[in-house]
Amino acid sequence: MDLRYSDAEEGFRAEARAWLHANVPAERLPVADTREGFEAHREWERTLHAAGYAGMHWPESYGGRGASVVQQAIFVEEYLLAAGPERINVLGLNLMGPSLMAHGTEEQKRRWLPRILSAEDVWSQGFSEPDAGSDLAGLKTRAVRDGDDFVINGQKIWTSYGAYADWMFALVRTDPEAPRHSGITFIAIDMRTAGVEARPIRQLDGHAGFAEVFFTDARVPADQVIGEVNQGWSVAMTTLGFERDAPAASPARYLRAVTDLVGAAKARGLSDDPVVRDGLAELYAGAHAYRAHALRTLTRLSRGESLGADASMTKLLWSELEQRIYEFGRHVLGPYGESLSDAPLRNPRLWNAYYWFARAATIYAGTSEIQRNIISERVLGLPKG
Amino acid sequence: MEFDFTAEQLALRDLARDLFEKESPPSRLRELWEGAERDPSCWRAMASVGLTGLTVAEGFGGMGGDDVDLALVLEEAGRAALPEPFLETVAVAAPLLAEFGTGEQRMTWLPRIAGGEAVATVLLGGAPFAVDAGDADLLIAEAGGELYALPREAFRSERIESEDRARRLYSVSFDRSPAARLSGGAERGFLRAAVAAAGMLNGISMRLIEMTLAHVKSRNQFGRPVGSFQAVKHRLADAHSFVESARAATWYAAYAIANSAPDASVAASVAKSYSSDAATAANRAALQAHGGIGFTWEHDLHLWLKRGKALEQAYGSATEHRRHIAKGIFEERGDA
Repeated sequence: MDLRYSDAEEGFRAEARAWLHANVPAERLPVADTREGFEAHREWERTLHAAGYAGMHWPESYGGRGASVVQQAIFVEEYLLAAGPERINVLGLNLMGPSLMAHGTEEQKRRWLPRILSAEDVWSQGFSEPDAGSDLAGLKTRAVRDGDDFVINGQKIWTSYGAYADWMFALVRTDPEAPRHSGITFIAIDMRTAGVEARPIRQLDGHAGFAEVFFTDARVPADQVIGEVNQGWSVAMTTLGFERDAPAASPARYLRAVTDLVGAAKARGLSDDPVVRDGLAELYAGAHAYRAHALRTLTRLSRGESLGADASMTKLLWSELEQRIYEFGRHVLGPYGESLSDAPLRNPRLWNAYYWFARAATIYAGTSEIQRNIISERVLGLPKG
Repeated sequence: MEFDFTAEQLALRDLARDLFEKESPPSRLRELWEGAERDPSCWRAMASVGLTGLTVAEGFGGMGGDDVDLALVLEEAGRAALPEPFLETVAVAAPLLAEFGTGEQRMTWLPRIAGGEAVATVLLGGAPFAVDAGDADLLIAEAGGELYALPREAFRSERIESEDRARRLYSVSFDRSPAARLSGGAERGFLRAAVAAAGMLNGISMRLIEMTLAHVKSRNQFGRPVGSFQAVKHRLADAHSFVESARAATWYAAYAIANSAPDASVAASVAKSYSSDAATAANRAALQAHGGIGFTWEHDLHLWLKRGKALEQAYGSATEHRRHIAKGIFEERGDA
């Protein structure tokens, strides 16, 4: 057990910190749910790419820097401390890029990988449907072969960046007769294709972070299938594996969220309130324990291990912790919690957005209920219900 | 960056597990519950493989291990509900003597602890009782913020009836003698005890979850295993996740103490408060999922339930350690 970073890692941290300090925009970018905001974020992704901080974990042969998971975790932490903008290119960099490297043809890799890295193409993920959320294999969007194309009809939903993304990697049903998992194909869709229509969904926090996407006789060239036709489920499992084995949500975020609330408690004269002190100490302990858990998984990942079903534990831990921190924050803030402009916080509007986003944390990327199913069945060996 | 145990540390864990299973099986716990006296053969067996000298320097006949080397052994002690003052002697007393004892105190006690000839107990942080004080050759007691290393003849002990009959509690009285005083260590000793108790608690929680999984996989109702119902599964998934993260927090605290990291003190309180809370969750889930059979005297479950309840409060409860954490975040870091 040795928790010291190597000289090279410390050097990387110093370099990343200095670069972020010099380059993170002083003013917050406009929210990415308008065309203007989205393009401002794309520009930021280009800046990151030019400095070698996009696709850090990609192999050098594909234009990345082959960064270790420890370097990735260091960068994520420094990025957070520098209050860097939202990353709109993560689906391409973290999911589509690595999936292409694993399953794409040479032609497909040449075509898309460089444009992902440079953010010329921003990708969205077309997995969920109105009737296929937690039960993903229930997806119905239909693709029928017609000459050199597939003709696609159906609907995707909860598509992050769906309104402005250039491309979507999607799961479509190519064989409705086959068993559920066997008739699915993984395909890349140009969002500018005729018959593809994205409508932003306005969330309860007022933002439009995702969209629903409708396909009406959209013709997509068959050479945009990734992997084999009807073998899309296994490609998708690789994709989700990249999500699972990425360094976990940064613990520094949660430790800071708690200390921010300590500041708010002080400002409200609650420093001596034993209930507030106990509650914040409990959350601090939770964040500290999560940090230790993240170090444990980081060690496994650096050895090249896959976390498998244990990744569900990580998701369950951070999402429930995040939600509990912000929920307790409501108690600390009291009547100031509903104010978007006057509260004892650096940025009350942003805190409020984080509060509601925390409420979504136990829903997106696999609900807590699904994670508990996975943990109990695949880690604890309990029988399926 | 390596947050894991070495092959040697894992081998030591396996050795401890095998030894505890053999020397201290549930049947032996039962005998203690039915009134048998402490049998020194278990301690002798531990000494023969070096466990009693795990934290004693090699020069004094020990293995020269640190808090990290000890971490997994403590979990095993918890998994076995080991009825011995291992935590007190090996995790607390020996390191305290090494760090804060006089040359003579070290010479007197450390070789005997390593050799298994002396067992120690501790009375720290205002605790009312000391485990195994009746059998102890040495008591390290706190009084007025100072620690005293008291030999058998310098303290008196009186047995207290305890809910866990394999955990022998005593109230003790003693006189402070300047010659017995250690040069410091009251806080460090308490935090070490807290981290060690967290480790044992995590072992207890792991055992409770193992027993519960075995039960819900084999117990059928409505024509299927009760472990196939989500209401049962989800509770156990939560308990397991809680306990696994508590283990990581406790290992971190052991590392921080062994390396005198700046956050060692808060890490120790995090470990004990979080592990105590995880243990409460595992304890409650275990009995609930066992149903009626878990509430019987004949089922072994309650041997672990009761040890868990004892250690949740020992060496600082969750709330006590959260008071300590709150001090840290409100007075040192709270200006965010």
